[in-house]
Amino acid sequence: MTADVQSKTKMPHLSSDKQLTFIKLAVLSMAAILSFGTRLFSVLRFESVIHEFDPYFNYRTTRYLTEEGFYKFHNWFDDRAWYPLGRIIGGTIYPGLMVTSATLYNIMQFLNITIDIRNVCVFLAPFFSSLTTIVTYLLTKELKDEGAGLVAAAMIAIVPGYISRSVAGSYDNEGIAIFCMLLTYYFWIKAVNTGTILWATMTALAYFYMVSSWGGYVFLINLIPLHVLALILLGRFSHRVYVAYSTLYCVGTVLSMQISFVGFQPVQSSEHMLALGTFGLCQLYLFTQYLRARLSPSNFELLFKALLTTLLATLGTALVVLTVTGKISPWTGRFYSLLDPSYAKNHIPIIASVSEHQPTSWSSFYFDLQVLVFLFPAGLYFCFTKLTDANIFIILYGVLSIYFAGVMVRLMLVLAPVMCIVSGVAASSLLSLHVKDIEPKAEKPDKKKKHENNLVFRSEVGALFVMVLCGLLVSYVFHCTWVTSEAYSSPSIVLSARAHDGARIIFDDFREAYTWLKMNTPEDAKVMSWWDYGYQITAMANRTVIVDNNTWNNTHISRVGQAMASSEEHAYEIMRELDVDYVLVIFGGLVGYSSDDINKFLWMVRIGGSTDRGAHIKEADYYTGAGEFRVDAHGAPALLNCLMYKMSYYKFGLVYTEGGRPPGYDRVRGAEIGNKDFNLDVLEEAYTTEHWLVRVYKVKPLPNRGL
Amino acid sequence: MLPAMAKIQFFAFILLYVASNCISVNVDNISSDVRIKNVDRSIDISSQLVKISSKITFENAGKVPVKQFLLAVEGAAKNNLAFIGARDSNNKDLRLVETTVKGHDNVKFYRVELKEPVNAAASVVITSDAVFSKALLPHPTAITQQEDQLVKYNSNLYFYTPYKVLTQKTTVVLNTKSVESFTKVKPFSQQDGNINYGPYSNIEPFTEKELSLHYKNNSPFLTVTRLERLIEVSHWGNIAIEEIIEIEHSGAKLKGPFSRYDYQQDHHSGPASVRSYKTLLPASASDVYYRDTNGNISTSNMKVKKDSVELDLRPRYPLFGGWRSHYTLGYNVPSYEYLYHSGNEYLLKMRAVDHVFDDMQIDELVTKIILPEGSTNIKINFPFAVTRLPDSLHYTYLDTKGRPVITFKKSNVVENHIQDFQLRYTFPRILMLQEPLLVVGFLYALFLCVIVYVRLDFSIHKPEHLKE
Repeated sequence: MTADVQSKTKMPHLSSDKQLTFIKLAVLSMAAILSFGTRLFSVLRFESVIHEFDPYFNYRTTRYLTEEGFYKFHNWFDDRAWYPLGRIIGGTIYPGLMVTSATLYNIMQFLNITIDIRNVCVFLAPFFSSLTTIVTYLLTKELKDEGAGLVAAAMIAIVPGYISRSVAGSYDNEGIAIFCMLLTYYFWIKAVNTGTILWATMTALAYFYMVSSWGGYVFLINLIPLHVLALILLGRFSHRVYVAYSTLYCVGTVLSMQISFVGFQPVQSSEHMLALGTFGLCQLYLFTQYLRARLSPSNFELLFKALLTTLLATLGTALVVLTVTGKISPWTGRFYSLLDPSYAKNHIPIIASVSEHQPTSWSSFYFDLQVLVFLFPAGLYFCFTKLTDANIFIILYGVLSIYFAGVMVRLMLVLAPVMCIVSGVAASSLLSLHVKDIEPKAEKPDKKKKHENNLVFRSEVGALFVMVLCGLLVSYVFHCTWVTSEAYSSPSIVLSARAHDGARIIFDDFREAYTWLKMNTPEDAKVMSWWDYGYQITAMANRTVIVDNNTWNNTHISRVGQAMASSEEHAYEIMRELDVDYVLVIFGGLVGYSSDDINKFLWMVRIGGSTDRGAHIKEADYYTGAGEFRVDAHGAPALLNCLMYKMSYYKFGLVYTEGGRPPGYDRVRGAEIGNKDFNLDVLEEAYTTEHWLVRVYKVKPLPNRGL
Repeated sequence: MLPAMAKIQFFAFILLYVASNCISVNVDNISSDVRIKNVDRSIDISSQLVKISSKITFENAGKVPVKQFLLAVEGAAKNNLAFIGARDSNNKDLRLVETTVKGHDNVKFYRVELKEPVNAAASVVITSDAVFSKALLPHPTAITQQEDQLVKYNSNLYFYTPYKVLTQKTTVVLNTKSVESFTKVKPFSQQDGNINYGPYSNIEPFTEKELSLHYKNNSPFLTVTRLERLIEVSHWGNIAIEEIIEIEHSGAKLKGPFSRYDYQQDHHSGPASVRSYKTLLPASASDVYYRDTNGNISTSNMKVKKDSVELDLRPRYPLFGGWRSHYTLGYNVPSYEYLYHSGNEYLLKMRAVDHVFDDMQIDELVTKIILPEGSTNIKINFPFAVTRLPDSLHYTYLDTKGRPVITFKKSNVVENHIQDFQLRYTFPRILMLQEPLLVVGFLYALFLCVIVYVRLDFSIHKPEHLKE
């Protein structure tokens, strides 16, 4: 693992220096290849396909970018989503991901490598995780040494917390953002260590790339100022840090404002104020240093006190005034929920309804990080033993990201790299400490004896320790591969199950329904569905949707929720109002697919009832007297007669799903449905997929007069 | 002044003459010597196509030997004609040339060129096959899921010909007994799935009399609205074929809702819908893929048979009237079966169009043939008349100047068009080395750059923090 071990292997014709380089290169490139390879489970098991929900939006925009060019992309007003409002795509996304893949695609086209844009998108995340592996090596090398770098690189190649967001097909911002983030950190450490403008500018450029690709850049622009603050407090502030931070802040802020979605936020929103404040503090700090050097102590004291009071007062008033006048935007809900995990649940149902915004459970820490959880404290210890500017940074990063990962499952992603880096430091330090002991130190036995008399079985203990650690690392590898294969490699657009005879059954109903919509409905048809499926419908069916996964307009989503939760007549009014032609629902009752619309229904009720127009929709009406959510005969009448219920269970009451059960037995809820025999008045079944997973209904036109 | 005018007029006249000659080279006359002794006609309308096979006995009633006859297609049907061919009594194909006859502008004529002339008073038997697409019209035009599809067929009761016919019989093959209505001109009989007309005697040339049938036809009414066939030839032993297919159910449209429950419970539900169809590929086809823009279509089966590979293709959803679908089907075949060469001269012999499903009809076929980079002297022979589109270049892996692409187009294609085209070209075999050399050269240059970069120091001066 470590350099010490590796140098022992003898290779002819090469000096030991070259051997070392060769082995480092070999380990690093193997880790990079492995990190690409281990993310291909889903491609091998299913096919090269885009996964889940958001990636479909990214894929669609990337296709648009490659077809229409950047200028049109930048000015793109999308009339396929949020009917009738539309959405300005160019100004409401982080374009880094799309630009990256379009650039790669164009370069390859220029070289006559005729690869499909879909394949570029599918394999982008694995490719960038290979790059992440290399950057992790570089970063850890800066923090500790090359051995630790190699261990960290090998660890991050397979860490499930990162794989969960970067498997082939998971074409999302996070796929490249982690690379950008670590690259920025690497350049930052470099800049702090050298104090050159070159590295600081590189940091700013990497930061710009990060800003262009993920909203999580806010974490970064708070972490780096925190590092600077910590250095000031610890008395480690130097000209190096000053040069690095001042350059980064000025260049980085100007660059980040070029992203139209970010705009003036870096100077207005409260999330960015720490960076600005630290920048000012740096200037003041150095100015005082300068004054102190020129003035006598008593004069300096007076001047310092006066200046400090006026400055704090002006700053304070300015802050208050700007916040009151709205120049500094209030903290956004998603950010509040970072600080107070229960905030979203109490205030914004739309944020709380997303599973990845839920607080992390203890088990998922172990599930996503395994042995890193134990190595992390040890690594922190090693960082503290040799405190440097760089180590302080990594300690801060580690501690902060642990907190944030605890608040929101999604941020496990930010934690995983630092876990790997710190654990890499730990594993490497521990190994190099004990590997030395194993070898018989025949050359100087006397000296050793003198100092370390009290340690008996030194080499045996060392060997045992190395074996235990290796065992842990091996178990880490097995765990990671198992998690990747079992938990994170399902495309979720294609489902698979095992039949009784062990044969694999594929449920391809989503694409069946989307293709049906695309081929057999009018080009300008408006499709209403719960917002989860919006991106997929626009990308795969190329039809206009009412709401989609970009949950920017709560009232609009609420209106759809109201339609789903209302009775047929009321829903018809809402659907006429929204000009809906088709309604799409996901129904898992036949095959037992549990994340269907009935199980999400309570969120529709909550979000539907959260606005003024939906005030009549009360969550309590959909529970039984005993406070249960039931679809059987004891269910609440409001539930049994609402649109969502009727669309899900239309004609389902006739179907035998399981042997020994009555017809209409819902396999997800484990109950016989309560309202079986009903007809739809305002809708007609347009299409239902083979396994009933997706049901599409057509909204009937108003009946003719006089009939 | 005047002579100049005359000159211009004269030239104009010549030009016109030349032009008119160019346009209608083939002008024939109807020979009054020829009579038709007997016609045995079978009209198969059990599928979505109309297949007419007529056994015609021509008789030379004149004094001089006759070498050619005319076949005629009436104006009402000529736009639906997809294919016409003729065979002699030994089942050998005869040459057919499209032609015109003065005074019959609305009629399509084909001249059958016999191998041996027919002497006076002798007769010859010829079988003519004609295939018409879109001649069966659904009536009613929209049906519900449970209903059967009824179609109407309108045609000519008599064999349409420029000659006098002494006797003729017609058999209409319906394959169903449920006939709503049909033309009743005695003598006729209905038995099993067939309706027999005739014999009728002494019918004058160009006689038209309506034959109308309204009957149940639940056979798949599938139209390939567009088929793009890509043939990519590699001299490394492989020919890749890809077909991009747009398909539509062109029968009676689906009226009202689609009920999955009924469709699953009752297998007689949706009698006119298409659940799946079979595509036959060459026996050597391998690496078959079946996908659309949303990815792989997982509902298909492949059976390797002795003389073909049979694909059981299921579209993502059953096709009802008016529903459309599209997909891409691709496979590889080894090149030794289709590509012949002597020295630098190559001959590619492949099907211009291949089987999609039985009784297929293709509205528009575009075939593209991508030849290896550096192919020259390209000559192509088509088995039937096509529109050749301008050649283009295709760039893919390791190409420098592009691969020549031959493109041609044909509309209204049926199974009878599954025939080989022949493409000859010259390819210097030394060019095979170009691509490997390109890779070797690139890697060589790359390593050279790395070696130079690693060994030399390019920095102008050492920065402060590195000096120690």
